[in-house]
Amino acid sequence: MEKLKLEILTPNGVIYNGEALSVTLPGEEGEFGVLAEHSCLTTLLEAGVIDIEKEDKSVESILINWGVVQVDEKKVIVLVEGAVAIRGDSESAVAKALENAKELIESIKDNNPAIASVTARLELAAQNLI
Amino acid sequence: MANLKDIQRQIKSVSNTQKTTRAMKLVSTAKLRRAEELAKRSRLYAAKMNQVIAEIAGRIKCNKVGGLDNRCFVEIEDPKTVDIIFVTADKGLCGGFNIQTIKAVKKLLAEHKAKNVKVRLRGIGKKGIEFFKYNEVELFDSVANLSSKPDKERSDEFILSSIEDFKDGKVDALYLVYNGYKNMITQELHVNKLLPVDASQFECDEIEKSMIEIEAQDEEKMLNSLINRYVQYAMYYSLIDSVAAEHSARMQAMDTATNNAKDMVKTLKVQFNKARQAAITTELIEIISGVESMK
Repeated sequence: MEKLKLEILTPNGVIYNGEALSVTLPGEEGEFGVLAEHSCLTTLLEAGVIDIEKEDKSVESILINWGVVQVDEKKVIVLVEGAVAIRGDSESAVAKALENAKELIESIKDNNPAIASVTARLELAAQNLI
Repeated sequence: MANLKDIQRQIKSVSNTQKTTRAMKLVSTAKLRRAEELAKRSRLYAAKMNQVIAEIAGRIKCNKVGGLDNRCFVEIEDPKTVDIIFVTADKGLCGGFNIQTIKAVKKLLAEHKAKNVKVRLRGIGKKGIEFFKYNEVELFDSVANLSSKPDKERSDEFILSSIEDFKDGKVDALYLVYNGYKNMITQELHVNKLLPVDASQFECDEIEKSMIEIEAQDEEKMLNSLINRYVQYAMYYSLIDSVAAEHSARMQAMDTATNNAKDMVKTLKVQFNKARQAAITTELIEIISGVESMK
Protein backbone atom coordinates (compact mmCIF):
# COMPACT_ATOMS: atom_id res chain seq x y z
CA MET A 1 0.00 0.00 0.00
CA GLU A 2 1.32 3.40 -0.86
CA LYS A 3 2.25 5.81 1.85
CA LEU A 4 1.52 9.49 2.18
CA LYS A 5 3.61 12.17 3.80
CA LEU A 6 1.88 13.80 6.71
CA GLU A 7 2.82 16.96 8.53
CA ILE A 8 0.85 18.36 11.44
CA LEU A 9 1.95 21.77 12.65
CA THR A 10 0.85 23.82 15.61
CA PRO A 11 1.97 27.32 16.60
CA ASN A 12 4.12 25.60 19.22
CA GLY A 13 5.91 23.34 16.82
CA VAL A 14 5.60 20.18 14.77
CA ILE A 15 3.42 17.56 16.38
CA TYR A 16 3.65 14.93 13.67
CA ASN A 17 5.98 14.62 10.75
CA GLY A 18 6.30 11.35 8.97
CA GLU A 19 4.73 8.77 6.72
CA ALA A 20 1.35 7.22 7.18
CA LEU A 21 -0.90 4.76 5.40
CA SER A 22 -3.99 6.86 5.86
CA VAL A 23 -5.31 9.70 7.90
CA THR A 24 -8.83 10.52 9.06
CA LEU A 25 -9.65 14.17 9.55
CA PRO A 26 -12.58 15.92 11.24
CA GLY A 27 -13.71 18.17 8.38
CA GLU A 28 -16.28 20.89 8.86
CA GLU A 29 -18.81 18.93 6.88
CA GLY A 30 -18.00 15.61 8.46
CA GLU A 31 -15.15 13.24 8.88
CA PHE A 32 -13.14 12.19 5.86
CA GLY A 33 -10.25 9.88 5.20
CA VAL A 34 -7.25 10.56 3.02
CA LEU A 35 -5.08 7.96 1.32
CA ALA A 36 -2.00 8.46 -0.81
CA GLU A 37 -2.65 10.02 -4.24
CA HIS A 38 -5.70 11.86 -3.01
CA SER A 39 -6.73 14.71 -5.26
CA CYS A 40 -5.92 18.30 -4.30
CA LEU A 41 -8.09 19.69 -1.59
CA THR A 42 -8.09 22.52 0.88
CA THR A 43 -10.62 22.64 3.65
CA LEU A 44 -11.22 23.63 7.23
CA LEU A 45 -11.24 21.25 10.15
CA GLU A 46 -13.29 21.59 13.26
CA ALA A 47 -12.64 20.40 16.76
CA GLY A 48 -12.21 16.65 16.80
CA VAL A 49 -9.74 13.82 16.50
CA ILE A 50 -7.24 13.12 13.76
CA ASP A 51 -6.56 9.39 13.41
CA ILE A 52 -3.31 8.47 11.76
CA GLU A 53 -2.80 4.91 10.56
CA LYS A 54 0.92 4.39 10.66
CA GLU A 55 3.05 2.03 8.64
CA ASP A 56 2.89 -0.68 11.28
CA LYS A 57 -0.93 -0.43 11.24
CA SER A 58 -1.01 1.15 14.67
CA VAL A 59 -3.25 4.16 15.06
CA GLU A 60 -2.27 7.41 16.67
CA SER A 61 -4.91 9.89 17.75
CA ILE A 62 -4.42 13.64 17.93
CA LEU A 63 -7.01 15.96 19.36
CA ILE A 64 -7.35 19.35 17.68
CA ASN A 65 -9.53 22.42 18.25
CA TRP A 66 -9.39 24.07 14.82
CA GLY A 67 -7.40 23.54 11.70
CA VAL A 68 -6.94 23.82 8.00
CA VAL A 69 -5.71 21.02 5.79
CA GLN A 70 -4.03 21.11 2.44
CA VAL A 71 -3.97 17.84 0.55
CA ASP A 72 -2.16 17.17 -2.69
CA GLU A 73 -1.04 14.01 -4.46
CA LYS A 74 2.13 13.65 -2.44
CA LYS A 75 1.56 15.10 0.96
CA VAL A 76 -0.92 16.26 3.55
CA ILE A 77 -0.23 19.39 5.56
CA VAL A 78 -2.43 20.10 8.53
CA LEU A 79 -2.23 23.42 10.36
CA VAL A 80 -3.92 23.31 13.73
CA GLU A 81 -4.26 25.88 16.43
CA GLY A 82 -4.25 23.67 19.50
CA ALA A 83 -3.46 19.97 19.58
CA VAL A 84 -2.70 17.15 21.99
CA ALA A 85 -1.30 13.84 20.80
CA ILE A 86 -2.43 10.74 22.67
CA ARG A 87 0.85 8.92 22.83
CA GLY A 88 3.52 7.92 25.31
CA ASP A 89 5.89 5.14 26.24
CA SER A 90 4.39 4.35 29.60
CA GLU A 91 0.98 4.15 31.12
CA SER A 92 1.51 7.33 33.10
CA ALA A 93 2.63 9.28 30.03
CA VAL A 94 -0.49 8.24 28.15
CA ALA A 95 -2.64 9.15 31.14
CA LYS A 96 -1.01 12.57 31.27
CA ALA A 97 -1.62 13.16 27.56
CA LEU A 98 -5.24 12.15 28.08
CA GLU A 99 -5.54 14.67 30.88
CA ASN A 100 -4.12 17.44 28.70
CA ALA A 101 -6.55 16.47 25.99
CA LYS A 102 -9.48 16.69 28.39
CA GLU A 103 -8.33 20.15 29.38
CA LEU A 104 -8.34 21.20 25.74
CA ILE A 105 -11.82 19.75 25.34
CA GLU A 106 -13.02 21.73 28.37
CA SER A 107 -11.72 24.94 26.84
CA ILE A 108 -13.62 24.48 23.58
CA LYS A 109 -16.73 22.83 24.96
CA ASP A 110 -18.78 26.02 25.27
CA ASN A 111 -19.13 26.82 21.62
CA ASN A 112 -19.12 23.28 20.33
CA PRO A 113 -21.55 20.80 21.84
CA ALA A 114 -20.50 17.99 19.49
CA ILE A 115 -17.12 17.77 21.17
CA ALA A 116 -18.47 15.82 24.12
CA SER A 117 -18.50 12.61 22.11
CA VAL A 118 -14.80 13.02 21.45
CA THR A 119 -13.87 12.23 25.03
CA ALA A 120 -15.05 8.65 24.73
CA ARG A 121 -13.08 8.14 21.54
CA LEU A 122 -9.94 9.49 23.11
CA GLU A 123 -10.28 7.18 26.09
CA LEU A 124 -10.67 4.26 23.76
CA ALA A 125 -7.55 5.29 21.88
CA ALA A 126 -5.64 5.58 25.13
CA GLN A 127 -6.77 2.14 26.24
CA ASN A 128 -5.52 0.61 23.05
CA LEU A 129 -2.12 2.10 23.70
CA ILE A 130 -1.69 0.82 27.22
CA MET B 1 44.46 69.55 35.67
CA ALA B 2 41.25 68.27 37.11
CA ASN B 3 40.84 67.89 40.80
CA LEU B 4 41.69 64.44 42.20
CA LYS B 5 38.33 64.17 43.97
CA ASP B 6 36.38 65.13 40.86
CA ILE B 7 38.05 62.42 38.82
CA GLN B 8 37.41 59.87 41.52
CA ARG B 9 33.74 60.78 41.59
CA GLN B 10 33.52 60.45 37.85
CA ILE B 11 35.16 57.03 37.89
CA LYS B 12 32.69 55.84 40.47
CA SER B 13 29.70 57.11 38.54
CA VAL B 14 30.85 55.57 35.27
CA SER B 15 31.55 52.20 36.85
CA ASN B 16 28.11 52.26 38.45
CA THR B 17 26.58 52.83 35.04
CA GLN B 18 28.67 49.98 33.74
CA LYS B 19 27.24 47.69 36.39
CA THR B 20 23.71 48.63 35.39
CA THR B 21 24.27 48.14 31.69
CA ARG B 22 25.94 44.80 32.28
CA ALA B 23 23.02 43.63 34.40
CA MET B 24 20.59 44.75 31.71
CA LYS B 25 22.55 42.86 29.12
CA LEU B 26 22.39 39.68 31.19
CA VAL B 27 18.66 40.08 31.69
CA SER B 28 18.13 40.60 27.98
CA THR B 29 20.24 37.57 27.13
CA ALA B 30 18.12 35.38 29.36
CA LYS B 31 14.87 36.81 28.02
CA LEU B 32 16.10 36.58 24.46
CA ARG B 33 16.68 32.87 24.79
CA ARG B 34 13.08 32.29 25.79
CA ALA B 35 11.62 34.65 23.22
CA GLU B 36 13.79 33.20 20.49
CA GLU B 37 12.67 29.68 21.31
CA LEU B 38 9.03 30.72 21.07
CA ALA B 39 9.56 32.56 17.79
CA LYS B 40 11.50 29.67 16.32
CA ARG B 41 8.77 27.17 17.11
CA SER B 42 6.10 29.37 15.58
CA ARG B 43 8.06 30.22 12.48
CA LEU B 44 7.26 27.03 10.61
CA TYR B 45 3.56 27.35 11.31
CA ALA B 46 3.52 30.98 10.22
CA ALA B 47 5.38 30.15 7.03
CA LYS B 48 3.05 27.28 6.12
CA MET B 49 0.01 29.41 6.90
CA ASN B 50 1.31 32.12 4.56
CA GLN B 51 1.92 29.50 1.92
CA VAL B 52 -1.60 28.09 2.13
CA ILE B 53 -3.16 31.56 1.96
CA ALA B 54 -0.87 32.68 -0.86
CA GLU B 55 -1.73 29.59 -2.85
CA ILE B 56 -5.43 30.19 -2.49
CA ALA B 57 -4.90 33.83 -3.46
CA GLY B 58 -2.83 32.77 -6.46
CA ARG B 59 -5.48 30.37 -7.64
CA ILE B 60 -8.22 32.90 -7.21
CA LYS B 61 -6.15 35.35 -9.23
CA CYS B 62 -5.78 32.84 -12.01
CA ASN B 63 -9.47 31.97 -11.83
CA LYS B 64 -8.97 28.41 -10.81
CA VAL B 65 -11.62 28.79 -8.18
CA GLY B 66 -14.54 30.04 -10.12
CA GLY B 67 -16.98 32.73 -9.20
CA LEU B 68 -15.30 33.86 -6.05
CA ASP B 69 -15.49 37.52 -5.38
CA ASN B 70 -13.86 37.92 -2.04
CA ARG B 71 -12.48 41.32 -1.21
CA CYS B 72 -9.56 39.84 0.68
CA PHE B 73 -8.02 38.28 -2.40
CA VAL B 74 -8.55 40.92 -5.01
CA GLU B 75 -6.06 43.71 -5.51
CA ILE B 76 -7.74 47.06 -5.06
CA GLU B 77 -6.79 49.51 -7.79
CA ASP B 78 -6.93 52.85 -6.02
CA PRO B 79 -7.26 52.51 -2.26
CA LYS B 80 -8.95 55.35 -0.42
CA THR B 81 -8.28 54.42 3.18
CA VAL B 82 -5.40 52.35 4.42
CA ASP B 83 -4.70 50.87 7.85
CA ILE B 84 -1.11 50.80 9.01
CA ILE B 85 -0.37 48.76 12.09
CA PHE B 86 3.04 49.10 13.66
CA VAL B 87 4.71 47.22 16.47
CA THR B 88 7.35 48.87 18.63
CA ALA B 89 8.74 48.06 22.05
CA ASP B 90 7.29 49.36 25.30
CA LYS B 91 10.73 50.27 26.57
CA GLY B 92 13.71 52.08 25.18
CA LEU B 93 17.44 51.48 25.59
CA CYS B 94 17.55 49.09 22.68
CA GLY B 95 19.55 51.00 20.11
CA GLY B 96 17.86 51.80 16.83
CA PHE B 97 15.20 49.15 17.22
CA ASN B 98 12.19 51.44 17.63
CA ILE B 99 13.47 54.21 15.40
CA GLN B 100 13.85 51.83 12.47
CA THR B 101 10.21 50.84 12.69
CA ILE B 102 9.08 54.45 13.12
CA LYS B 103 11.10 55.53 10.10
CA ALA B 104 9.51 52.81 7.98
CA VAL B 105 6.05 53.87 9.15
CA LYS B 106 6.80 57.52 8.33
CA LYS B 107 7.97 56.54 4.87
CA LEU B 108 4.84 54.51 4.25
CA LEU B 109 2.76 57.37 5.59
CA ALA B 110 4.38 59.86 3.24
CA GLU B 111 3.95 57.54 0.27
CA HIS B 112 0.24 57.26 0.89
CA LYS B 113 -0.20 60.96 1.64
CA ALA B 114 1.39 61.74 -1.71
CA LYS B 115 -1.29 59.66 -3.38
CA ASN B 116 -4.03 61.33 -1.35
CA VAL B 117 -4.86 58.18 0.51
CA LYS B 118 -6.29 58.49 3.97
CA VAL B 119 -4.18 56.58 6.48
CA ARG B 120 -5.34 55.23 9.80
CA LEU B 121 -2.43 54.50 12.12
CA ARG B 122 -2.85 51.80 14.68
CA GLY B 123 0.04 51.45 17.08
CA ILE B 124 1.26 48.79 19.45
CA GLY B 125 3.98 49.60 21.96
CA LYS B 126 4.53 52.69 24.09
CA LYS B 127 7.59 53.98 22.28
CA GLY B 128 5.97 54.30 18.88
CA ILE B 129 2.78 55.73 20.36
CA GLU B 130 4.78 58.35 22.28
CA PHE B 131 6.70 59.31 19.18
CA PHE B 132 3.64 59.94 17.05
CA LYS B 133 1.84 61.72 19.87
CA TYR B 134 4.82 64.00 20.37
CA ASN B 135 4.94 64.78 16.66
CA GLU B 136 1.22 65.39 16.66
CA VAL B 137 0.41 62.67 14.20
CA GLU B 138 -3.03 61.34 14.89
CA LEU B 139 -3.27 57.72 15.96
CA PHE B 140 -6.51 55.97 15.13
CA ASP B 141 -6.03 53.34 17.77
CA SER B 142 -3.25 52.36 20.12
CA VAL B 143 -2.50 49.73 22.68
CA ALA B 144 0.36 49.55 25.18
CA ASN B 145 1.82 46.70 27.21
CA LEU B 146 1.05 44.21 24.47
CA SER B 147 4.36 44.11 22.65
CA SER B 148 6.34 43.27 25.77
CA LYS B 149 3.97 40.47 26.75
CA PRO B 150 2.38 39.04 23.60
CA ASP B 151 -1.06 37.71 24.35
CA LYS B 152 -3.04 35.89 21.71
CA GLU B 153 -6.42 37.02 22.94
CA ARG B 154 -5.55 40.70 23.14
CA SER B 155 -3.81 40.71 19.79
CA ASP B 156 -6.77 38.90 18.19
CA GLU B 157 -9.12 41.48 19.58
CA PHE B 158 -6.96 44.35 18.39
CA ILE B 159 -6.65 43.13 14.82
CA LEU B 160 -10.24 41.95 14.50
CA SER B 161 -11.65 45.46 14.11
CA SER B 162 -9.26 46.06 11.22
CA ILE B 163 -10.31 42.85 9.53
CA GLU B 164 -13.98 43.72 9.99
CA ASP B 165 -13.43 47.21 8.61
CA PHE B 166 -11.67 45.75 5.64
CA LYS B 167 -14.45 43.31 4.94
CA ASP B 168 -17.02 46.06 5.31
CA GLY B 169 -15.15 48.13 2.78
CA LYS B 170 -14.17 50.92 5.15
CA VAL B 171 -10.51 50.13 4.63
CA ASP B 172 -8.88 49.14 1.34
CA ALA B 173 -5.56 47.77 2.53
CA LEU B 174 -3.92 46.61 5.72
CA TYR B 175 -0.21 46.95 6.35
CA LEU B 176 1.80 45.57 9.21
CA VAL B 177 5.17 47.09 10.06
CA TYR B 178 7.44 45.51 12.63
CA ASN B 179 11.05 44.82 13.38
CA GLY B 180 11.64 41.09 13.43
CA TYR B 181 14.36 38.80 14.65
CA LYS B 182 16.93 37.58 12.19
CA ASN B 183 19.78 36.36 14.34
CA MET B 184 21.52 37.29 17.58
CA ILE B 185 22.98 40.47 16.16
CA THR B 186 20.63 41.55 13.40
CA GLN B 187 17.05 42.59 13.22
CA GLU B 188 15.06 42.62 10.06
CA LEU B 189 12.41 45.18 9.27
CA HIS B 190 9.20 43.76 7.85
CA VAL B 191 6.59 45.74 5.98
CA ASN B 192 3.88 43.22 5.21
CA LYS B 193 0.73 43.78 3.31
CA LEU B 194 -1.75 41.54 5.11
CA LEU B 195 -4.89 42.41 3.21
CA PRO B 196 -5.67 42.03 0.42
CA VAL B 197 -3.51 38.94 0.23
CA ASP B 198 -0.61 39.52 -2.09
CA ALA B 199 -0.83 37.12 -5.01
CA SER B 200 1.68 38.83 -7.26
CA GLN B 201 4.36 36.22 -6.61
CA PHE B 202 2.24 33.58 -8.30
CA GLU B 203 2.65 32.80 -11.95
CA CYS B 204 -0.47 31.43 -13.48
CA ASP B 205 1.23 28.79 -15.65
CA GLU B 206 2.97 27.30 -12.68
CA ILE B 207 -0.14 26.19 -10.92
CA GLU B 208 -1.99 25.26 -14.04
CA LYS B 209 -1.26 21.59 -13.50
CA SER B 210 -2.81 21.09 -10.13
CA MET B 211 -6.37 22.14 -9.67
CA ILE B 212 -7.61 23.04 -6.29
CA GLU B 213 -10.89 21.98 -4.83
CA ILE B 214 -12.28 23.69 -1.86
CA GLU B 215 -14.31 21.13 -0.06
CA ALA B 216 -16.99 23.21 1.54
CA GLN B 217 -20.54 23.99 0.68
CA ASP B 218 -20.03 27.56 1.64
CA GLU B 219 -16.74 28.65 0.15
CA GLU B 220 -17.23 32.25 1.13
CA LYS B 221 -17.66 31.35 4.77
CA MET B 222 -14.64 29.12 4.78
CA LEU B 223 -12.41 31.75 3.20
CA ASN B 224 -13.66 34.36 5.63
CA SER B 225 -12.90 32.25 8.63
CA LEU B 226 -9.53 31.28 7.19
CA ILE B 227 -8.65 34.91 6.50
CA ASN B 228 -9.48 35.88 10.06
CA ARG B 229 -7.27 33.18 11.47
CA TYR B 230 -4.50 34.02 9.04
CA VAL B 231 -4.42 37.74 9.82
CA GLN B 232 -4.80 37.13 13.53
CA TYR B 233 -1.93 34.70 13.53
CA ALA B 234 0.22 37.00 11.42
CA MET B 235 -0.40 39.72 13.99
CA TYR B 236 0.45 37.46 16.91
CA TYR B 237 3.53 36.13 15.17
CA SER B 238 4.76 39.65 14.50
CA LEU B 239 4.46 40.33 18.23
CA ILE B 240 6.53 37.35 19.30
CA ASP B 241 9.05 37.98 16.56
CA SER B 242 9.27 41.60 17.65
CA VAL B 243 9.90 40.66 21.28
CA ALA B 244 12.79 38.43 20.28
CA ALA B 245 14.20 41.20 18.11
CA GLU B 246 13.78 43.75 20.89
CA HIS B 247 15.75 41.66 23.34
CA SER B 248 18.50 40.99 20.85
CA ALA B 249 18.70 44.72 20.05
CA ARG B 250 18.83 45.61 23.72
CA MET B 251 21.44 42.98 24.42
CA GLN B 252 23.62 44.44 21.74
CA ALA B 253 23.07 48.04 22.81
CA MET B 254 23.87 47.20 26.41
CA ASP B 255 26.97 45.30 25.39
CA THR B 256 28.24 48.35 23.52
CA ALA B 257 27.38 50.57 26.48
CA THR B 258 29.29 48.30 28.86
CA ASN B 259 32.32 48.37 26.60
CA ASN B 260 32.18 52.14 26.30
CA ALA B 261 32.00 52.50 30.05
CA LYS B 262 34.99 50.20 30.40
CA ASP B 263 37.05 52.37 28.02
CA MET B 264 35.98 55.50 29.83
CA VAL B 265 37.01 54.16 33.21
CA LYS B 266 40.38 53.28 31.72
CA THR B 267 41.06 56.81 30.43
CA LEU B 268 39.79 58.32 33.66
CA LYS B 269 42.14 56.10 35.67
CA VAL B 270 45.10 57.29 33.60
CA GLN B 271 44.04 60.88 34.18
CA PHE B 272 43.64 60.20 37.89
CA ASN B 273 47.11 58.69 38.18
CA LYS B 274 48.66 61.58 36.30
CA ALA B 275 46.94 64.06 38.62
CA ARG B 276 48.06 62.11 41.65
CA GLN B 277 51.65 62.02 40.41
CA ALA B 278 51.55 65.76 39.78
CA ALA B 279 50.26 66.39 43.29
CA ILE B 280 53.06 64.31 44.83
CA THR B 281 55.68 66.10 42.75
CA THR B 282 54.38 69.50 43.81
CA GLU B 283 54.42 68.45 47.42
CA LEU B 284 58.00 67.16 47.16
CA ILE B 285 59.17 70.37 45.52
CA GLU B 286 57.59 72.35 48.30
CA ILE B 287 59.38 70.32 50.99
CA ILE B 288 62.72 70.45 49.21
CA SER B 289 62.52 74.16 48.57
CA GLY B 290 61.53 74.65 52.23
CA VAL B 291 64.62 72.72 53.36
CA GLU B 292 66.82 74.60 50.88
CA SER B 293 65.64 77.97 52.14
CA MET B 294 66.48 77.02 55.74
CA LYS B 295 70.13 76.34 54.91
